[in-house]
Amino acid sequence: MYGLEMVKGLAVTLSNLMRKPFTTSYPEQRIRQHPRFRGEEFTWYEERCTGCASCAKYCPLGIIKIVTAPSETAPLQGDKYRLETFDIELQRCMFCGLCVEACPYDALFMGSGFEEGQYKRTDLVITIDRLRQAEKNPSTWFRPQLEGMDYRPGAGRPLGWREVGRENWRWHQHEKAGMRLAGNRDDNVSSA
Amino acid sequence: MWFEHIVFWVLSVVAIAGALGVVLVRDLFRGALLLATAFVAVGGLFVMMNAEFLAVVQILIYVGAIAVLFIFAVMLTRDVQQGNAPNRLQIPAAVISALLLAAMIATAVSTDWTTLSGAGLEAKAQLAQTQAVGIPNASDLTSAGLTPAEVESVSSGGLADLLIGNFVLPFEAVSLLLLGAAIGGLALARGRGR
Amino acid sequence: MRCVTNADGMLSADGVLGGNPLFYFIYNAVGHVAPCWLSYLIAGLVIMLILINAVLLGAAIVSWGERRLLGRFQNRVGPNRWGPFGAFQPIADLAKLITKEDIIPYGADRLAFTAVPVIMVAAVLLGTAVLPFAKDVALVDLNVGVLFVLAVSSLTSIAIFTAGWASNNRYALFGAGRAVAVLLSYEVPVVLSLLGVVLVAGSMSLGDIVAAQAVPFFLVQPLAFFVFIAGMSAELNRTPFDVAEAESEIIAGYHTEYSGIKFALIQAAEFGGVLVVSGLIATLFLAGWAGPLADWLGWLWFLIKTFIGIFLFVWIRSTYPRLRLDQIMAVCWKFLMPLSIINLAAVVLEVFFLRDANGSLSTADLWIMAAINIALAGGSILFFGRFIREKVRTDAHTAIATNPVARGASTIGMG
Repeated sequence: MYGLEMVKGLAVTLSNLMRKPFTTSYPEQRIRQHPRFRGEEFTWYEERCTGCASCAKYCPLGIIKIVTAPSETAPLQGDKYRLETFDIELQRCMFCGLCVEACPYDALFMGSGFEEGQYKRTDLVITIDRLRQAEKNPSTWFRPQLEGMDYRPGAGRPLGWREVGRENWRWHQHEKAGMRLAGNRDDNVSSA
Repeated sequence: MWFEHIVFWVLSVVAIAGALGVVLVRDLFRGALLLATAFVAVGGLFVMMNAEFLAVVQILIYVGAIAVLFIFAVMLTRDVQQGNAPNRLQIPAAVISALLLAAMIATAVSTDWTTLSGAGLEAKAQLAQTQAVGIPNASDLTSAGLTPAEVESVSSGGLADLLIGNFVLPFEAVSLLLLGAAIGGLALARGRGR
Repeated sequence: MRCVTNADGMLSADGVLGGNPLFYFIYNAVGHVAPCWLSYLIAGLVIMLILINAVLLGAAIVSWGERRLLGRFQNRVGPNRWGPFGAFQPIADLAKLITKEDIIPYGADRLAFTAVPVIMVAAVLLGTAVLPFAKDVALVDLNVGVLFVLAVSSLTSIAIFTAGWASNNRYALFGAGRAVAVLLSYEVPVVLSLLGVVLVAGSMSLGDIVAAQAVPFFLVQPLAFFVFIAGMSAELNRTPFDVAEAESEIIAGYHTEYSGIKFALIQAAEFGGVLVVSGLIATLFLAGWAGPLADWLGWLWFLIKTFIGIFLFVWIRSTYPRLRLDQIMAVCWKFLMPLSIINLAAVVLEVFFLRDANGSLSTADLWIMAAINIALAGGSILFFGRFIREKVRTDAHTAIATNPVARGASTIGMG
């Protein structure tokens, strides 16, 4: 440590002084996360969701609350449940992604953001309205179909409900597609 | 000037109060701090007498080293807050200290101190101090306006000159004493055994 | 203080405050309307006000500069939110500290506890009094300027120990005890190295030392420069010697219990100390205000050289890890003190042989001394560095053989 090593240490530090710092000046710049980042907000496609509540059952913390009612429209076409409540409590969520693993219909995806801090604890719950209206930038975690596409979550191109699923599943083609929302008849897929 | 009188009285009162406080204050740590204050005040008095070198050395050695030594010694004592235990020697000690003080005051007042006087007092004092610390040069002193008697008293009293000249034996003896103290300290700090 | 009028009818203070032109200006200007003692007082107070403000503001600027420089050394930016380049960060820090609650611990010695930040700031401000900022511009050019600065820096050790004791906190006391041990130990090599500087310059006055530096003294006495920087890093409790306030170890050492404005004053004293010591390095080793156009731009050169000193301190802080207390003592007594003694011996011999009849040295003599001393410095640093290396046992067999658990474990795999 003493002798010539003193000078070598000083030279190392001095060379570091000359380099550009690699600090990311938040909030002007944000670090781009990796594509499989399990972000804090969730991406949910209502067109694909059947209200099966598998996500709620799989959640180890029990923070997903799903309340459904019998649906009035077209039960034969698979539109069995009408979702009234779909709450995810972010205050206890550990972002493990088991709910995303559980969803059989590829309706729930992890998000890609990390700025969910709120001033009140009651604001930390994601309600169904927010899930409906949010911009859909799903993370590719546990969704290999998204990894094959040329898709990066932070690139600013949201995905629609048709592009995110494993469409080679036959039953998924015949059920649910386009039947969910009222006023959505124009993108019907002809069902058998 | 009256300004100097005020400064003198303030410094003197602080020095005497500090010194008295060392003895009379109950908390030993506060006593050590008051001792340091008294040292600083005495340094100020040296500055007033145009002896800046002495003042600086006073602060460097007394406040910087000896007061710290006192504080360490006080810290190693238990029951600092209670102060000294009462004992029977307080009255005799007070009497002897008073007699010693009277003797010192009488000696100091009756000695014939050689002082610099006249015009350009500060300049002469500065020069005298520089010469007292360094190598005395009588021609410089005379050209600054010191009378021959003053030159005699200043240059023969040059500290470095005296130390290496007349007082070389005590100087060497003190260095041996310091060496002995250092070795003794080492021996004490090692402890027994090993 | 003498109210003497000189030939022009202007008041003249008889040689007490050197040749300080600002003092004379104010003294004469106020002397037209006020009595002599009042104008003397006002002139002195104005200069003191300027100096105190300069030191405290300088402490804030040094704290900002240190945080940004340290950030750049560590590949990150420093504070950059408040003001351009974070320049208002010290103000934000000060505002935060002022609004904090001023806690005095239970059982603490209130008077001593409150007096400590005052003593520390006073020690730093006193040290500014002798620094020459430009030609003939010092508050007072003492004959014994070097000794004065050393004496004033020794006031800090009492203040630190009082802080530790008055806090009624045994960890503060440990930190204070360690700090005082380090401070007292490092005064020895520092004083010895400064003796060499005084010998070559022939005077203890800081103005004379600057005038004597035809060749800057960091070339003429590199060992003294090195020992002074290392010793002053320890005196200021800076990394790698900051065992007193090791932020990750002993909470905060002697200033654990200080909060609010008292803590702000202690930090101001610390950064002010960095500023004053950098000014001292600039004066003693880097030829102070000397440089091209020194008559007008002396203050600029002094500022630049002070900045070099501050840069050196921050550079050293960002490079070296913190030393343990026994390593600090080893560095002091086994490394720095022999180096300072070698420097002193070499300088004494060189001055004795190279000095001419008046006792002064010419520039050529200084260059000869520089050449000899640089070679001596390199050799002695490399040589004495060996005494403070620690032996690290890297013998794996020895480690396994002496550790019963490992010995048992090492036979399991071989079955």
